[in-house]
Amino acid sequence: MTRLSRPFQRGNTRSRGGLSRSAGSDTLAAYLFIAPAIIGFAVFVGYPLIRSFYLALTKYNGLAEPVFVGLGNFRRLFTTDPAFWPALRATGYLVVLYVPLSLILGLALAMFCNQRFRGVSLLRTLAYLPVVLPAVATITLWKFILNPQVGLLNTVLDRLGLPTSLWLQSPTMAMPSVVLMMLWGVGGTMIIFLAALQAVPTELYEAAKVDGAGPWSAFVRITVPTISPIILLQVILQTTAALQTFNQPKILTNGGPGFSTSVLMLSIYNNGFPNLGRIPQLGYASAQVWVLFVIIIAVIALAAKFTSLWTYSDNTPD
Amino acid sequence: MTTLPTDRRPRRLIGTTAWYVTALFVAAVMIVPLLWMITIGLKSGSAVFEIPPRLLPREWTWRNFIDGPQAIHFPRLLLNSTIITALSVLGGVMTAMMAGYALARLRFPGRKVWFYLFVGSMLLPGVVGLIPLFQLYKSIGWYDTWLPLIVPAFLGGNPLFIFLARQYFLAIPYSIDEAAKIDGAGHLRIFTQVMLPLTRPAWITMAILAFQASWNDYLNPLVYLYSSGKWPLSVGMAAFISPFAGKTPDWSYYMATNLLYMLPPLILFFVAQRYFIQGLGSLGSTTQK
Repeated sequence: MTRLSRPFQRGNTRSRGGLSRSAGSDTLAAYLFIAPAIIGFAVFVGYPLIRSFYLALTKYNGLAEPVFVGLGNFRRLFTTDPAFWPALRATGYLVVLYVPLSLILGLALAMFCNQRFRGVSLLRTLAYLPVVLPAVATITLWKFILNPQVGLLNTVLDRLGLPTSLWLQSPTMAMPSVVLMMLWGVGGTMIIFLAALQAVPTELYEAAKVDGAGPWSAFVRITVPTISPIILLQVILQTTAALQTFNQPKILTNGGPGFSTSVLMLSIYNNGFPNLGRIPQLGYASAQVWVLFVIIIAVIALAAKFTSLWTYSDNTPD
Repeated sequence: MTTLPTDRRPRRLIGTTAWYVTALFVAAVMIVPLLWMITIGLKSGSAVFEIPPRLLPREWTWRNFIDGPQAIHFPRLLLNSTIITALSVLGGVMTAMMAGYALARLRFPGRKVWFYLFVGSMLLPGVVGLIPLFQLYKSIGWYDTWLPLIVPAFLGGNPLFIFLARQYFLAIPYSIDEAAKIDGAGHLRIFTQVMLPLTRPAWITMAILAFQASWNDYLNPLVYLYSSGKWPLSVGMAAFISPFAGKTPDWSYYMATNLLYMLPPLILFFVAQRYFIQGLGSLGSTTQK
């Protein structure tokens, strides 16, 4: 943690003697420069935080004034709503399936692409390609790839004599199919790990080789400890992103079959912005938002607690 | 390299072969879905559902690349997306650079507090704002307009950009400002004429990230835009293939158009590849610095 101390101190040691006018005019100029960001912070962070917390405690359809109901929304969520626990389970299943696979495959691919072979930069580019493409474009493409009758995946599996599947149309396979689609974008994880791997000092590996360490022990004793801050960052970023997954289940399955892919975000969307003819339940949806928000904060807090336990920190003076 | 012991050469050869076989597999997984998409785009509507499916079209229906975009109203959607994205890139980069400049290079009371508030707000999940902001926009008549998609960018919309801008500004020597000040330049001139040219890689990276975020955004336009004439590509494309009134969507039209939808980010990626990588590298630096 000591290395987190500010690296640039020069701003504080600026000469002030000759520029007596600077102090006052700097403050004015600075606030003019950050004014848009401050207004944005107030409107898009401060206001929604307070307002959504208040709405979570109300019954509100967006037309009449909100009616205060205390913890009524939360009671309904946890006790009577038949869709809430399945939504929580689907969200948890997605996170548990996607995050570890994305990290392991991303790191494996990064290590694979961190070797000196001809064409390795082309491979990196290709692996990163799906990340660059618009989400809707790739999700809809995969919706058709996963089509059981004429999709690419079953066609290929069938030609290879391997078992095929109903993919998105099967209650048990729907979520794994969604995760499979999401893993096509593993290049995003790869590229961050790759940057971290390239920053590992090569002397460490050379020293380990001299000491007779094999590739596995070099990986466990050098690679993993050195890049552990990045691994942790990735765990946090990917878990919070996975908890808020919306596009894939919305477009691929719209939550089905049954409740198998009805993640929390989809449930929030459907309650807050229902189809025409149904009344929005904005208070209720806000309560769901707060459940999700608390889960996200808990994940970050937990990860931060673990940081001090297992990430490697360089305490030697630079 | 040159003096390998003879017994290690076969092992090396096996290693190389294994690497290339794996590389070929990875490359195929990434590229084959896209090639397959093009073949679907070239098939006639009924050939798509032929069983058993053929990998290549029997007749190459090039007309799909004209009829498809027409059926999906692609030109209209493209124009909408272009306007929304261009404005939100401009706003997002501009206000983040301004805030980054103030936070890194000016001394003022509250500097640290605002920095921590901005950085802290990176942790706030976007979903928290969804419902209150929707109501806010509705009450001021912004529902079913592009304003909710554009105005936030002009108010420092992305705290990550503020953070990146600040980090970049911190690395520039302060003697440059001093020299400019002695020449009588004010902050606006230092910012526009000295700092912006020096921080080119930073704002190009941000512009790319902002482009991707806006071009890809699906949830926000889905929530805020009701009229199909105002939709950007993401919502329009997804609407075309969502099952509507039991009608099967025309997949060959869709896939032909999907290729066109992918082209702008694809071209940008190949032109500015190093900035994409740089952007992600700077993301990693959040923990390293």
